[in-house]
Amino acid sequence: MHVSVRCFASLSRFTPPDAEACAIGPGETVGGLVARLGIPPEELKLVFLNGLHAGLDAALKDGDRVGLFPAVGGG
Amino acid sequence: MSAQEPLGGRIAALAETRVLPGGRELRVLPFFAALDLARSLPRTAGRRSLALVEREALAQGVCPERFVRNLETYSLEEQLRLAGAGAGLVGLGGLGGHVLELLARAGVGHIRAADGDEFEPSNLNRQLYATRRSLLGYKAAAAAARMRVVNPGALFEPIAAQLDEAGMGRLLEGLGLCVDALGGLEGRAALARRAAAAGVPLVTGAVAGQTGLVATVLPGGTCPAELFGQGGGAEDRLGTPAPAVAAAAAIMAGEAVNILCGRAPALAGKMLAFDLARMSFETLTL
Repeated sequence: MHVSVRCFASLSRFTPPDAEACAIGPGETVGGLVARLGIPPEELKLVFLNGLHAGLDAALKDGDRVGLFPAVGGG
Repeated sequence: MSAQEPLGGRIAALAETRVLPGGRELRVLPFFAALDLARSLPRTAGRRSLALVEREALAQGVCPERFVRNLETYSLEEQLRLAGAGAGLVGLGGLGGHVLELLARAGVGHIRAADGDEFEPSNLNRQLYATRRSLLGYKAAAAAARMRVVNPGALFEPIAAQLDEAGMGRLLEGLGLCVDALGGLEGRAALARRAAAAGVPLVTGAVAGQTGLVATVLPGGTCPAELFGQGGGAEDRLGTPAPAVAAAAAIMAGEAVNILCGRAPALAGKMLAFDLARMSFETLTL
């Protein structure tokens, strides 16, 4: 099973090399994936799963799109 | 034609018929004729005389020349609605300067804008009104000077003060839209609360590095800033480069003008996220 992962702004440094087709294990959650990517929990503020606001406990399935955002406030 | 003749008749006499590229005929009030007409009005009209002339022209279906290239994206009816619309803008830095410029050029009739900061050299990379000459002066003062030459027909009320939450509420009194162009996360959640209390839509934008976010929050809706909490944002590390700031501001202004001319907001309950490093744009649901 594979998902695509987009890490925005300061999280882009955690983008996996296979971001468009990142392998996931059976039953893996967004939180599990985020931990595996090494993203510090305090830096992750907003998660989208297939374009919808989601929580870390959301389960992943093949073909899902994950978007990860830190706090962004500059102007 | 005498100065006593009703304004409507004088506009009709000065209007010219032009053929637009699409073949449509349009009655146009030439720019310098509008200025002369505004100057000839009784002094009681004061600084609002040009606005008076332009609104009367629009009401008659005559397009002031400055708005000809807004057609047919915005109809004359929508342009008239814009002329009668008011927006509150908080922040006149990177986002706010560009948003203000675009709203004024689009023809928004009334803009009240607040920023208590003075320009400093690190603003020069992105802030439209930050120049060598405006450094150390109030951003609100530079914005006011710019508005006088860009669109003197718009009523611009600058506030050179950092607003507390009550001040944000007062800023929005009588206006139809709130634009959050603050720098940093501080104050954004408070502004969202005040916009909700005033019952007006909030258009909010933020940038860090090449990433930009724009959202429209209707009263009772979720504001991205509430999800980000307090503290520093990614911009502390990545900075706020000009292309991302101007892109976010342009999207904010596009949405603001859509709303002010009476259309449904396209980003209500959503957040447009872009990344200029990947040239990706996506609209996410909050």
